[in-house]
Amino acid sequence: MSTYLNALRSAKSAGSATDPHWYKDAIIYELHVRAFADSNNDGIGDFPGLIQKLDYLQDLGVTCLWLLPFFPSPLRDDGYDIADYMTVHPNYGTLDDFKAFLAAAHQRGLQVMIELVINHSSDQHPWFQRARHALPGTPERDFYVWSDNDQKYKDARIIFTDTEKSNWTWDPVAQAYFWHRFFSHQPDLNYDNPLVMEEVLKVLRFWLDMGVDALRLDAIPYIVEREGTNCENLPETHVVIKKIRAAMDEGYKNRVILAEANQWPTDVRPYFGDGDECHMAFHFPLMPRIYMALRQEDRLPITEIMAQTPEIPESCQWGLFLRNHDELTLEMVTDDERDYMYLAYSADPRMRINIGIRRRLAALVDNNRRRIELLNSILFSFPGTPILYYGDEIGMGDNIYLGDRNGVRTPMQWTADRNAGFSRANPAQLYSPVIMDPVWGYQAINVEAQQSDASSLLNWMRNMIALRKLFHVFGRGTLKFLPSANRKVLAYVRQYGNEQVLCAANLSRFAQPVQLELAEFEGTVPVEMLGYVEFPPVTKQPYPLTLGPYGFLWLELQPAADTPNESAETNDIVMLEAGQRGDWEILLGGANADKLKNDILPEFVRKQRWFGGKSRHIRSASVLDFAPFHDGNSALIIAKLEYEAGEDETYFLPLTTLYGDAASLLKEASPNAVVTPIRDAKGEGILCDALTQESVCLELLTVITGKKKIAGAQGIIEGFPSSTLPSLTENKGMPHNARRSSAEQSNTSILYEDRLIMKCFRKQEFGPNPDTEIARFLTEHTDFHHIAPFGGSIEYQREDGTSATLAMLQGLVANEGDGWAWTLEELERYFEASALATLPSENEGKSASELIKEHAGIYLDAAATLGRRTAEMHLALASSQIEDFRPEILEPDELVSLGHDLADHALRTMSLLKTNLSRLPDDAVELGGLVISRRREISARFQNVNTVRSRLQRTRVHGDYHLGQVLRVRADFVILDFEGEPARSLSERRKKQLPIKDIAGMLRSFHYAAFSALARHVARRPEDHQKMEPWANLWTRAVSAEFLRAYRETAAGSAVIPRDDHDFRLILDAYVLDKALYELGYELNNRPEWVRIPLTGILSLLQ
Amino acid sequence: MPKSDLEEETLSETQHTGPVDLLIGIAGAVNAGELQQQVQQLQGYQGSHVVVAYPGASEVEAALPAESAFRLMPYSLPAADRSLLPWAIASTAQRTICAMAVEMGAKVCLSLHSDLATLDTRHLELFLQAIAEKGCDLVLPVYPSRKFEGLLNHSILAPLTRALYGQRVRFPLTPDFGCSAQMAARLSDSSPHHAAGDGALLWPSIQAALSNYQVCQLRLDIQHATQTEGLELSTILSSLVGSAFSEMETSAAYWQRIRASHPTATFGDMGQQWNDGEPVDTKPLIDSFLLGSRNLQEVWSLVLPPVTLLELKKMSRVDPASFRMPDEVWVRIVYDFALAYRLRTMNRGHLMGALAPLYLGWVASYAGEVAGLSPMGAEQRLEQLAKAYEENKPYLVSRWRWPDRFNP
Repeated sequence: MSTYLNALRSAKSAGSATDPHWYKDAIIYELHVRAFADSNNDGIGDFPGLIQKLDYLQDLGVTCLWLLPFFPSPLRDDGYDIADYMTVHPNYGTLDDFKAFLAAAHQRGLQVMIELVINHSSDQHPWFQRARHALPGTPERDFYVWSDNDQKYKDARIIFTDTEKSNWTWDPVAQAYFWHRFFSHQPDLNYDNPLVMEEVLKVLRFWLDMGVDALRLDAIPYIVEREGTNCENLPETHVVIKKIRAAMDEGYKNRVILAEANQWPTDVRPYFGDGDECHMAFHFPLMPRIYMALRQEDRLPITEIMAQTPEIPESCQWGLFLRNHDELTLEMVTDDERDYMYLAYSADPRMRINIGIRRRLAALVDNNRRRIELLNSILFSFPGTPILYYGDEIGMGDNIYLGDRNGVRTPMQWTADRNAGFSRANPAQLYSPVIMDPVWGYQAINVEAQQSDASSLLNWMRNMIALRKLFHVFGRGTLKFLPSANRKVLAYVRQYGNEQVLCAANLSRFAQPVQLELAEFEGTVPVEMLGYVEFPPVTKQPYPLTLGPYGFLWLELQPAADTPNESAETNDIVMLEAGQRGDWEILLGGANADKLKNDILPEFVRKQRWFGGKSRHIRSASVLDFAPFHDGNSALIIAKLEYEAGEDETYFLPLTTLYGDAASLLKEASPNAVVTPIRDAKGEGILCDALTQESVCLELLTVITGKKKIAGAQGIIEGFPSSTLPSLTENKGMPHNARRSSAEQSNTSILYEDRLIMKCFRKQEFGPNPDTEIARFLTEHTDFHHIAPFGGSIEYQREDGTSATLAMLQGLVANEGDGWAWTLEELERYFEASALATLPSENEGKSASELIKEHAGIYLDAAATLGRRTAEMHLALASSQIEDFRPEILEPDELVSLGHDLADHALRTMSLLKTNLSRLPDDAVELGGLVISRRREISARFQNVNTVRSRLQRTRVHGDYHLGQVLRVRADFVILDFEGEPARSLSERRKKQLPIKDIAGMLRSFHYAAFSALARHVARRPEDHQKMEPWANLWTRAVSAEFLRAYRETAAGSAVIPRDDHDFRLILDAYVLDKALYELGYELNNRPEWVRIPLTGILSLLQ
Repeated sequence: MPKSDLEEETLSETQHTGPVDLLIGIAGAVNAGELQQQVQQLQGYQGSHVVVAYPGASEVEAALPAESAFRLMPYSLPAADRSLLPWAIASTAQRTICAMAVEMGAKVCLSLHSDLATLDTRHLELFLQAIAEKGCDLVLPVYPSRKFEGLLNHSILAPLTRALYGQRVRFPLTPDFGCSAQMAARLSDSSPHHAAGDGALLWPSIQAALSNYQVCQLRLDIQHATQTEGLELSTILSSLVGSAFSEMETSAAYWQRIRASHPTATFGDMGQQWNDGEPVDTKPLIDSFLLGSRNLQEVWSLVLPPVTLLELKKMSRVDPASFRMPDEVWVRIVYDFALAYRLRTMNRGHLMGALAPLYLGWVASYAGEVAGLSPMGAEQRLEQLAKAYEENKPYLVSRWRWPDRFNP
């Protein structure tokens, strides 16, 4: 058996790339074999023809070729209707021809991407022919999706609106309807049948074994169908993708999957998974907005869509394009934007198809060379991998008189000879006529002419591609837009390691001035990258630039010229000299200690996502204590951060040393995880964040499971398993794999397979950690099980007896996402459904819940469930007589003091609002003024708290309760994170409080969710703005009411809430208002553009 | 060079050596008997494990005393094209030696010229001291030079390396060098795009720069026989300068970010460094330049911008005594040829042939200028030229990034 497997393994061809992240620096060139070059003069392009043109592509500088489908097919959808996945259409050559092409491309350093069209096949595929003849219910039949009627999945939209009237088509042989999201000759495969997955993986392995470097997953959002959904982006789809990715990772190195998901960026984000689904995905909505920005001479469409683009895992990448083989899709724009685009770019109705415009790049911009260059400069400098469509490098035109999208799929124009040099066949024999009109015809636009013209678009493209390839920053760097008063100029900075590039683009047809805020780059010298021309140095003052019509500038921000000695000194500072490997005394002590304290650690900490003091200036970061572990390769470090102003802070920094390939890999993959280079007796390496290394993560787990003690100089680090830990590992034993979660915030989480999660607390405070304390209490002392089960903790105990929790272990709960994300999804559906409905009148005596029951769907039930779980949690927290959890009565004087505290907080927030009023966004200034005008009323609300006469009970509470702190788990919820508000001190977070505070937190979270979802909805449909706000209010009221009803029913009779209804309301209103004021303060300080939400919340609470 | 690139028998030999402290590799054909004699004279390595590797098939280890710290080991070179030039063969051998050092886990690796002039205790100690004590990863020798020798190195290779990679090394391409284990690993794997034995040159100083490894120089009072006897100048240019231009292409993303050069720590005695050389008759050199200027105008105009062509035209008109090529003109000529090499403006062999008369013009100009200067004065003149390379680097970068023919 093993010999057989070995033989199979050795039969695989390696991919051509050596860098696992090659796709980040790639320039992808999309082409159709049929349209590129015809070697046998039959009028159809073929692989031998393509091989002949590889030198041209290499010379152009592209690095990856994306081939459109070349498989056997009836060709009713340009090859996307595949009849055999494992060979080559005879029109294009043979499988051997493909192999020869692959080898020739690899020899030239070109990677190759092919299509994996797995949503559907052709109706001519043997699978379908077999299925339609098979008996219903058999596996053969179930390769596709069948139904007795055409009423299933009614909520799924029709994509090809021009040709299809339904997603179901009657098959007379099968005597049933089959499902198809695209053409009726493309039946969708059924992924509920495991045999389908098996076949798809066979296809995948077939091509990867051959050495293909990348696969484009076509139409991926549609592969699974479920009743009651729109059959797009379903959780089951991600299960399928994860399987495909796992199969790829298991057997192949440096291969890539690219997702075609024509969706909003936030909807595409899940296709990257945790870095375990697709490596790349197209950014569809950006493309039409680039054209819109150009036509409107306004950067807003671009900056807006980029603002809506979420962060993606570090190993993932967006695929960017200006045009492709399909229409310029307008699915991802609002109705007004679509109308505008039609008017601006498709005067002739023949230019339109489905929901888009079927034109090439040059034709869209009226063949204006400067516009073409400008758009390409944006494409090449935006974060992502640029994808060029064949022919666009020479400015090829289109033929709108050809059907479907064939107008942009005409033969490549190589020369001014017959058939554009594409083929020597009789012109009538060509698969498509070449373009022949006087402006766009091949006599005017062809490769040969442009190669001999030094000023041609082709030469310009070649130079730009070569330039882009010199800088990793374009493929891998961050993006930050620079605000400026002139909206005709789009300016942004890209940064990656020590590369930083300022890009400025003039979207206008006239010259434009702009002043850019570059103070943070003070002292750098902008060097224009095309001509290597130095510009005046950057100072604190706004940096003036003037851009010609459609002009663009790429400026590398270089440090001011250094002298040899300075450079030598710099090297000296950053390189730590170590003694023997594993000698942490030397590595962290002596002369190294000063370097670490003053330069290296402050710089490292500042770059970390989990670092909460980004607005503070770190004066120093010194190592307080360290405990070597992991056979001396790593150390658990406790570091003290001193700031220029304010209190010191303590942080937990597990660090490790890496050498050789491991060091190079990390430097490449996670540069921010590198602390500094080191040199020890055996050579050079790096000091880095230990939690990037799987072996360290697994070793950390054994600290808890093995109850290990690790000695530091000032204290001991010790693992404490919980009594439930054995039950968490009993079935499968200890996990063997670990990885760091990409959802990192103020802490770092490690996932141990799908079973355990360890949260490493970065910021440390000495004293019991409320998160660990409450999780342990609820797990070990109560019957409340709607939390992640507590598995244990790692504590640091100092010699003086004080201790801090370094990490907490919990069981990993399989879930459908956190409550916040799930709620936003539900709200999206709610707004979509409500947009077409009339707002119900509230004068009919119906409750808000009754009024929106039809539109809010399952969310009302979910809110009730959440209310119940919240009450159960509070009852559990109040159920013990253990000192730290025993409930206490709130004395009258404490009630008075509570009222004062709340009123003081309100006063401080009002003062902050007044100071910032002039800086609020335009749509929030008026609301801000209204809130200020009602400050006395706000204050009075808090003073009224004194009037409460009910007996109030203080208990331990969640402390920072909102939708982001719960997980949606099989129609129920699990509650997480008992850490409290991170900004508060430990003693404040452990204080016993009124449970109503948690209720208030959740009610505010409902309001926030409603208005955040509304903002997203309105971004797509601005015309809905006025109309949908009442729907958002109605939803908030209904959901809050359901939550409260269930909570009070569950807690009824207990002491966690006041028995008197009036008192309950009074306290609740006060806390809700306080929470809204807290949010207002937070948004004013951190996200002024969000300030509208708490302001509307405060006003509605005052009504 | 990946493991598998070592010849099978060599690989097998290296795997049986056990841990090695020092590998001394002879990078060219050598008489095994002479080598054995010279090794026996080496002193002071008791208790160490030193392997001396040389290309060949005969085993002479038995002739060394059993208590010797040394072991002689023949190694096989990949089958190389017999038409390769001596330095190309040496580069192949150097790569093989580095790959052996990696296989053996040698702490230090020395690759020495096959004339064995460097193989004595004093020189070995100097190399070892630089690597073990001074922490150098790569030690390159500085040989004594005469005013009129090594001019291709002084006029192109060294100043180009300095301007591009920031390494002020006197001889970037040498028959002798010493390196640390990590440098050996880098050098053994430094040309993944070349097949074993294809004659691609090994540029240790460039590889060190790309890896940010520390480079030092060692002054050695050794003179190796010249290797260019009987070779056409255009052949030499194609091989040496062409190789430097190829390296530029593969490392463009690196050298375009280097903005200044740094001095290289240099150890050893200065005593014998400066020698006056034989005077040079510049007339045939100038004649070659003039001949090229008449016949190669068309080719030059494909490579050089009008302002340089004008300068060359002016030079062709002056009398031989005042024949001078300004540094800026020469440096830009080299940079423009590097660019044409990258763009494949014409056949690369023809391109380097077209550089030959220009190079001879520079030699004539230099010889005329330094004829009356002391060796130290000539050295300073070369330093001036090297600075011109650095000052004109922005010209190269801008031409490289935007190679528009329509330029001044």
